[in-house]
Amino acid sequence: MDHMPENWGRPRSDVYGVYNPAIHNAGPTTHTQQPSITGTSVLAIKYNKGVMLAADNLASYGSLARFTDQERLIKVGKETVVGVSGDVSDMQYIQLLLERLIIEDNYEQDGHNLRAPHIYEYLSRVMYNRRSKIDPLWNAILVAGKKDDGSPFLGYVDLLGVTYSAPTIATGFGAYLAIPLLRKIASDDGDEKRITEQQARAALDECMKVLFYRDARSLDKYSVATVTTDGEVTIEQNVRCQDMSWRFADHIRGYGTQTM
Amino acid sequence: MDAIVARYSRTAGVEHDDLRGEEQYDCSAPSSLPLLSLPPISQPAAFLRAHTDDASNPDCKIKIAHGTTTLAFRFQGGIVVAVDSRATAGSWIASQTVKKVIEINPFLLGTMAGGAADCQFWETWLGIQCRLHELREKSRISVAAASKILSNLVYSYKGMGLSMGTMICGYTKLEGPAIYYVDSDGTRLKGDLFCVGSGQTFAYGVLDSAYKWDLSVEEALALGKRSILAATHRDAFSGGSVNLYHVKESGWTYYGNHNVGELFWKTKAEEQSFENVPTDFTVDA
Amino acid sequence: MYSEPYIDPASAHAAAAPIEHRFNPYSDNGGTILAIAGSDFAVLAGDTRHTTGYSINSRFQPKVHTLPCDPPILVSANGYSADGDTLVRRLGQRVQWYSYNHNKAISVAACARLIQTMLYGKRFFPYYVHTIVAGLDEEGRGAVYSFDPVGSYEREQCRAGGAAASLIMPFLDNQVNLKNQYDVQTGEPKTAVYLSLDDTIKLVKDAFSSATERHIHVGDHLEIKIITKEGVKVEYFPLKRD
Repeated sequence: MDHMPENWGRPRSDVYGVYNPAIHNAGPTTHTQQPSITGTSVLAIKYNKGVMLAADNLASYGSLARFTDQERLIKVGKETVVGVSGDVSDMQYIQLLLERLIIEDNYEQDGHNLRAPHIYEYLSRVMYNRRSKIDPLWNAILVAGKKDDGSPFLGYVDLLGVTYSAPTIATGFGAYLAIPLLRKIASDDGDEKRITEQQARAALDECMKVLFYRDARSLDKYSVATVTTDGEVTIEQNVRCQDMSWRFADHIRGYGTQTM
Repeated sequence: MDAIVARYSRTAGVEHDDLRGEEQYDCSAPSSLPLLSLPPISQPAAFLRAHTDDASNPDCKIKIAHGTTTLAFRFQGGIVVAVDSRATAGSWIASQTVKKVIEINPFLLGTMAGGAADCQFWETWLGIQCRLHELREKSRISVAAASKILSNLVYSYKGMGLSMGTMICGYTKLEGPAIYYVDSDGTRLKGDLFCVGSGQTFAYGVLDSAYKWDLSVEEALALGKRSILAATHRDAFSGGSVNLYHVKESGWTYYGNHNVGELFWKTKAEEQSFENVPTDFTVDA
Repeated sequence: MYSEPYIDPASAHAAAAPIEHRFNPYSDNGGTILAIAGSDFAVLAGDTRHTTGYSINSRFQPKVHTLPCDPPILVSANGYSADGDTLVRRLGQRVQWYSYNHNKAISVAACARLIQTMLYGKRFFPYYVHTIVAGLDEEGRGAVYSFDPVGSYEREQCRAGGAAASLIMPFLDNQVNLKNQYDVQTGEPKTAVYLSLDDTIKLVKDAFSSATERHIHVGDHLEIKIITKEGVKVEYFPLKRD
């Protein structure tokens, strides 16, 4: 009998075999998955009359640029846009769920329609429940639209069910490259009131360009969606990065900043 | 026909498995065994171990509180129970004020060693079972039966990662003072004297050297307290304060909380003991 | 500088066994919380920074919640925010159901026991959170209860939880419970007395600004919720944003 209480009751090596340190990456009952075809960052910023999102059109297969016409900004209902990064098949499944949700809601014909906070709530519960089944939907999602009081809404939810809101949010690589740029114009709640649509658009275009420079899984062709607080949704497709300068590439030797 | 109807009709609202959480709130009367959800993976115990067992995986995030010295012994005047009050998670002292004696009911005490939540939860659960026994049988439960309810319960979870080492102490007409040691391996032992926890050896050392059946109540309480003090002094995972209890025919009585900070110096001065610790720290030039 | 990844030498052959896939269902979203009980009030405070790894996700994501009951109860579950949010949401529903079933508001003590059963219900797949509850007990005194991830709990005068708990707790031991302080005249250990609300708030601000100085996952804003018999008051203070 081991009398050290810190050892008690724990699955003992002599009974259950030696501890396998790799196991804390869990193990499923049946389902196994890892992302295969993926989309990279989604960016979003609130501005004085709504929310603007951008996501490029690339669907990668590992390091292969597999599809270059993948739309990742989805209009849901009348006045919400959902931007999805991560696994594309899981995104299509989420799209299916959301379509079903909207259809069911329309059956009611009660004059009420689901807005961004409701869709966000729904999605975050789906994502959390799937992670709790250790069968996650391998995505990071942005939900944009307007709140019940008419102010802009922007929320994030990912494969772990983690949720948060902020005036600017970016998924994936964008969290490192775009967020510092976007926070220069909107870092706190309320800052969005001072940003015009043009400023927001210029900031997103700049961020998409920076991402194309340095994110190897990105594309210079992207979509920009705007959701206004009046409830108008526009998705502009096939936008191209403008005025790119690749002069810096000249100085790159090998990987990184070698001087030779 | 019904099958066809069922196939093509759907209930209102989006009903999908992905919206169904693991925890469903049920308004019906609770069963005697609470429902504990399991992670939906092939090796739940290995999963739990990976995320909570800081001994096997030092990087694990969820650290469960451990470390203790507890003791209980039978003597002529009943039972003395004495425990320390420290809870540690790795080298972090999570609390110095833990109640390690769980008052199951006015006649039964349980001690806490190992996982704090395991002991707290299952010993309060044991209190419920003892009360139900009373209501059904119109008589108080024996210590033997109470301890066996607990040992059967922990045995049903064997290998799942429960961690507890406890002493169920009580006094009944039938049994007199009785102590049962129950641990999460499923061991259940009746005995006169037990020390449990990382500091048990230090407590045994003091307790064994002065223990007699004929101890007076006052002497027994002092001995229990002194044994825990010795353990808090030598075992880093034990400390805080000493909680003292006496169990006799009329039930248990609490004999106070004694902070080690003051108790140590008081004991040292009174007994002229702990001579390894200097009182005067001035160094001669 | 960096240590080798931990591999148990005895388990080399076990590690070779196939691992079906790599998904870690837990994350740590930083932040820290703090509660102090007074004679007729209690405060529960938390910073509003939300992080994953070295990224600041949001500078304003409040995590101190007021439960829908009367008198209100404050609760915060700090750690993995998806678990924390889920726990608080389910607790809110249970508290509401309690009032429907029993036709009275839940007491803090009962709420604490409810939280224990909810946390322990996931003993084998724990919520990765440190939970703190603050409210007024049945005598109107401030009450603070704190919980470990699997539901062991205790009523206390004060408690810090989350990322900077190890920085704040020693400060609280010294300033609230006057640990290891002795009266100069008598040499007797000082005994803790209830702090006034003003002093409590000063202490909370100091604790958080100091934690912000020394912990990367703490900062941006401080949210303090104060509960008295008049109800809940919320105050915000800026913290450093670096």
